[in-house]
Amino acid sequence: MPTNIEITLATIMQSPVSTLETSQGAPPAPRPAVVEQRSLVKLKGRKVLIIDDDRINIRILASILQNEGFVISEGNSGERALELYEEIKPDLVLLDVVLPGIDGFATCREIRARHGDNAAPVIFITAKTESDDIVEGLAAGGVDYLPKPFRRKESLARIRTHLQNKILNEQQKALVDQLKAANQAKNKLLGMAAHDLRNPLASIRGLAEFLCDGTVGQLTPDQHDLANTIFETSQSMLALLNELLDVATIEAGELKVHKEPQNLSDLVTKAVYLNNINAARKNTKIIFSPPEEAPIVRLDQAKIRQVMDNLLSNAVKYSPPNSTVNVRISGYHPAFKVAVQDQGPGIPENERHQLFKDFMTLSSKPTGGEKATGLGLAICRKIVEAHRGAITATNLPHGGCEFSIMLPA
Amino acid sequence: MKYEGKILLVDDEGHVRKFIGLILKQLGATTLFEAGNGRDAVEVFKRESPNLVLLDVNMPIQDGIQTLREIRQISDDCVIVMLTSLANRQTVEEALSLGADNYIRKDTPKDEILASLRQTIAECFTVD
Repeated sequence: MPTNIEITLATIMQSPVSTLETSQGAPPAPRPAVVEQRSLVKLKGRKVLIIDDDRINIRILASILQNEGFVISEGNSGERALELYEEIKPDLVLLDVVLPGIDGFATCREIRARHGDNAAPVIFITAKTESDDIVEGLAAGGVDYLPKPFRRKESLARIRTHLQNKILNEQQKALVDQLKAANQAKNKLLGMAAHDLRNPLASIRGLAEFLCDGTVGQLTPDQHDLANTIFETSQSMLALLNELLDVATIEAGELKVHKEPQNLSDLVTKAVYLNNINAARKNTKIIFSPPEEAPIVRLDQAKIRQVMDNLLSNAVKYSPPNSTVNVRISGYHPAFKVAVQDQGPGIPENERHQLFKDFMTLSSKPTGGEKATGLGLAICRKIVEAHRGAITATNLPHGGCEFSIMLPA
Repeated sequence: MKYEGKILLVDDEGHVRKFIGLILKQLGATTLFEAGNGRDAVEVFKRESPNLVLLDVNMPIQDGIQTLREIRQISDDCVIVMLTSLANRQTVEEALSLGADNYIRKDTPKDEILASLRQTIAECFTVD
């Protein structure tokens, strides 16, 4: 029901503007003595089903509701209520408790059973105001009760409130559905864009590298500098695209891990070896001494490797030059822990909660001008969680911080 | 090092052919044929009988998987390396089951592609 939403949003957006105008404009407009509470939702035309075996009750309720513009249908038994419910799909049901055939409670339960959370709110009409009765009605799925004899204003207020709640719920649901669809579309677009941009970028990077390494002829130092800038820029764009693509895949629920028994130590050794090449540029060293007994863990090798690469490159990125990054594997069945300790500035306490969220870069900056997209750790968390593991970050007492992943064996 | 064998490079994107072509040259390739889609690739293959085929997966007119099938019907000996844009497990597994010898991700850094192709060539051919 998009039209209703538009009306609601328009109403909400308009109201503060008009207040502003009257408060700043010349003389304030005269206000009506009794301000009718302006409803955010249109109640006129809503369908109300009244079920009572006593015609007089129906007539009284109908007269109370007549000025509201509701469309009223009526019936005199639970069975009839169920028929009419399917026929007219009411927005609200006023339901007598004591009825011939199935009683009001059973009727209400049946409506709830058939329509679940989408069922129209049911208000019980009851002569008795004993709390047992009220409790049973609420337990049967009713939202409220109207005591007989009816008090006009109170009845009307209760009915209006529940109708409004129902309509607002529907609108909220429609909005959530729209947002879900929009988010899916966003992920699809992101995935497509990232995918289609990657190949050309990879070629640009590769071709620039060819220019740089002199394969196609020597460059002057200035030309080399330009070609190198093209290489480095496309390199970091490619990394960003890969992360965007990961996020799109993960958000679309397409992150699939293929777990196989692997030697965690071997995996970490390889990651440490390759990351040490980059670390050497900052004169930083990553040190890892594998445990004596090979930790065998069921994991997706490529994905956990991605996590390790991320944690190691972060440790290097945020540590000052000439640092040492320590990597340790500890624990046995049922879980292993890989810890990466850096000598960086640590994580500001007030930023810790957003560490593993999408697009969150902290106030700490890389120490060698490296790029940070703010996606890496969010991706790590999702990969580790897909392994039923956990990722944590803690500041170390003597400075620096420790990122660790726990993986069930 | 020189690689005297015939190489067929198939990709619909010119920049990829240029980039991979440079890598092949660096590996010492001397005879390089190119095709921009699967159908042309099969024709060139019939005419030239290359020893090594680098074959893109997603292409217009005829994709790499179908092309792989057709080439394998013609020849069992030539080495076929698939060029993929993502490590799409299913596609890679399908290609390998249809007789592809290896695969390379096109967004892999140059030196890694170089190493991988050097190894493939060394494993499959005698190089002088």
